[in-house]
Amino acid sequence: MQETITFFSGFGASDLWFLGDAALKTLWISLLSISIGTVLGVIFGWMLHEGKWMAAATIGSILDIFRSVPLIIQLVLFYNFAPIVGLSLDPFGSGVVILTIYTAALVSNVARGGIEAVPVSMRKASRSLGMSYWQDLFHIVLPIGGRAVFPAWIGVVLGVMKDSALVSVLGYVELLKASQILITRTQEPFLILALAGAFYFALSYPISRYAAKFEQRWAQ
Amino acid sequence: MKKTITCLLSAALLATTPVKADTLDNVVDRGELRCGVVLDFPPIGYRDANNNPAGFDVDYCNDLAKALEVEAKIIPVTWSERLPIIATGRADVVFGATSDSLARARTVGFSIPYAIYFAQGVVNSKVEINSFEDMRGKRVAAAIGTVPEQEWLKIAKEWGEEHLYQSYQSENEVFLAVAQGKADIGITTNTAVKPITSQFKTLNAGPRMPWTADYTSIVGKRTDVTWLNYLNLFVTHQVRSGRYDELWGKYVGNNVPELRIPGVMY
Amino acid sequence: MFEYNFHWRPVLKSLPDLLQAGLLTLEVAVLSMVIGITIGLCLALMRMKLQGPLKWFAVSWIEVARNTPVLFQLFFFGFGLGAMGVNLPPYVIIVTGLSFNCAGYLAENFRGGFQAVPDTQINAARCLGMNSWQAYTRIVIPQVFRIVYHPITNQMVWAVLMSSLGMMIGFRELSGETQFFASRTFRIFEYFAVTAVVYYVIVKVILGSSRLLSARLFRY
Repeated sequence: MQETITFFSGFGASDLWFLGDAALKTLWISLLSISIGTVLGVIFGWMLHEGKWMAAATIGSILDIFRSVPLIIQLVLFYNFAPIVGLSLDPFGSGVVILTIYTAALVSNVARGGIEAVPVSMRKASRSLGMSYWQDLFHIVLPIGGRAVFPAWIGVVLGVMKDSALVSVLGYVELLKASQILITRTQEPFLILALAGAFYFALSYPISRYAAKFEQRWAQ
Repeated sequence: MKKTITCLLSAALLATTPVKADTLDNVVDRGELRCGVVLDFPPIGYRDANNNPAGFDVDYCNDLAKALEVEAKIIPVTWSERLPIIATGRADVVFGATSDSLARARTVGFSIPYAIYFAQGVVNSKVEINSFEDMRGKRVAAAIGTVPEQEWLKIAKEWGEEHLYQSYQSENEVFLAVAQGKADIGITTNTAVKPITSQFKTLNAGPRMPWTADYTSIVGKRTDVTWLNYLNLFVTHQVRSGRYDELWGKYVGNNVPELRIPGVMY
Repeated sequence: MFEYNFHWRPVLKSLPDLLQAGLLTLEVAVLSMVIGITIGLCLALMRMKLQGPLKWFAVSWIEVARNTPVLFQLFFFGFGLGAMGVNLPPYVIIVTGLSFNCAGYLAENFRGGFQAVPDTQINAARCLGMNSWQAYTRIVIPQVFRIVYHPITNQMVWAVLMSSLGMMIGFRELSGETQFFASRTFRIFEYFAVTAVVYYVIVKVILGSSRLLSARLFRY
């Protein structure tokens, strides 16, 4: 008489699709926050370089907070703070905001390092060749400084990509959250964790190899 | 001239918009009911084979949305998130087997009870726990932010066994922990025991916990009394229409508890 | 719009417990670092000096640690190992997970440090009559130590920040304790705001003392 309902079902083909969809969400949230965060971070880095102690005291110390507080705490705080001030942000929105600021905080340091890696004499030379300040910045500082800190930037990118797993604490169903859901439903932790781990590894390892190769070539 | 009229009209519109809109109006106006539901609490809230939300609480949320003639939006929450989500206004209601404790009522508002649970243990099959007293010296697990956790910690403190307690993020993690042998007994509710133990050979039904039954309520904003009144009416209508019996029978079993507290008005 | 009422009193009441948990966070981070440095040193040497299975063991450890999320690693040591019948208590899970991760990152730092010291220096030391142990401990190690000092400091900060993931596995360090209290009083924002401040102070104290120490150590 009573229809049978199963509460725990085994790992099925539709679950692979569920995991794949979640993996795309991981990629999407990382891509979005890394690209916006990098642009912001470069601007902040330039301000930190040009603004000297004034910038260091203001944006420098604010960005420092985002490097000194665990990301998971930042996420929980922001997610619970946003509705208090009347912003209705879903887990995805909150995740993007915090991951973006977090990326910007890390990139600003890298960018400043890049600007400072270009010898002052070279910049003076370019200016005396008649380049404007912006020409010097885009045609001299960007290619040379950018190459010097490229591996460091890749490090930030990979870090943020992996840290995007923490958005799961807000309930956003990215790869790690999806595997958690599947684990508790199918109760097969080993298989599912191995799949999720393999995906992260397959994404991160080639990029880190490339960065290492790049660094080697650059060092020669 | 036209411009002044539109200006005046919009000003009038602004003036008539209440400063503190109530939830009922908001939901109807928005056309969407945002329900927080705990999804790792089978059979009350869980994910089906296609990973879609299902269960008693999910159906209740859909019924409420239908009564309001709006769309239901399910927001999956954990035990510890289900009350802050109301306090910060991210959800309109929470169906989350929430006991109506006086401590919680300081933060959120409760409807009349819509379901009743007892706390019961699930035991690892290698462990011998037949009565509550057998739990002395055993490793106990429960989900963080639940009534069983708080009640057990009181007893554990008396027994001096707080160090044997371990909390997990969700009910399902508790089951997994007991099944793997990370804990000897997990405290959950009577409704979950049957589906869990029939699914896992490594889990057995354990003893009932000695504390009182959990009268659980729908959660809404504490200050919004009209909304809470509406929720009360919804609960009585669910019982009167026979929907409560139907859903409880479908997900839990035929012993449908009466939603009444003997000896007192509620 | 601003309908939320802040309640700070319960947070202040549990502040002593939170600070106590902060000590536990430090303990976990320091312990993981000590284990991580030891294993990281071994892994770096195995990767550089050895061939065959031991080398591949070291390489895979390093790459898996660096290319998967920390939270994934913690889940693996928790429910993943549990599926194989190995049940670790949360304290051991977090220390094992963080040590595993730190060892992977530090190994690469050590490798960079060793590679920065030219082999000719060892030859020179041997010519001066030192045996190879003396050459290593008196010539190579001090230089390597100097190179990896900053990366180690950074890793220490990371270890503190990452230990916050303890709350995801039910370990009651600073974040876990905060979550425990927040789940009883439902004052998530207030609790986590205070915890963020505690983390900030811990990180600043570590960086400050590291700077003081380096000023004494690297005077010449």
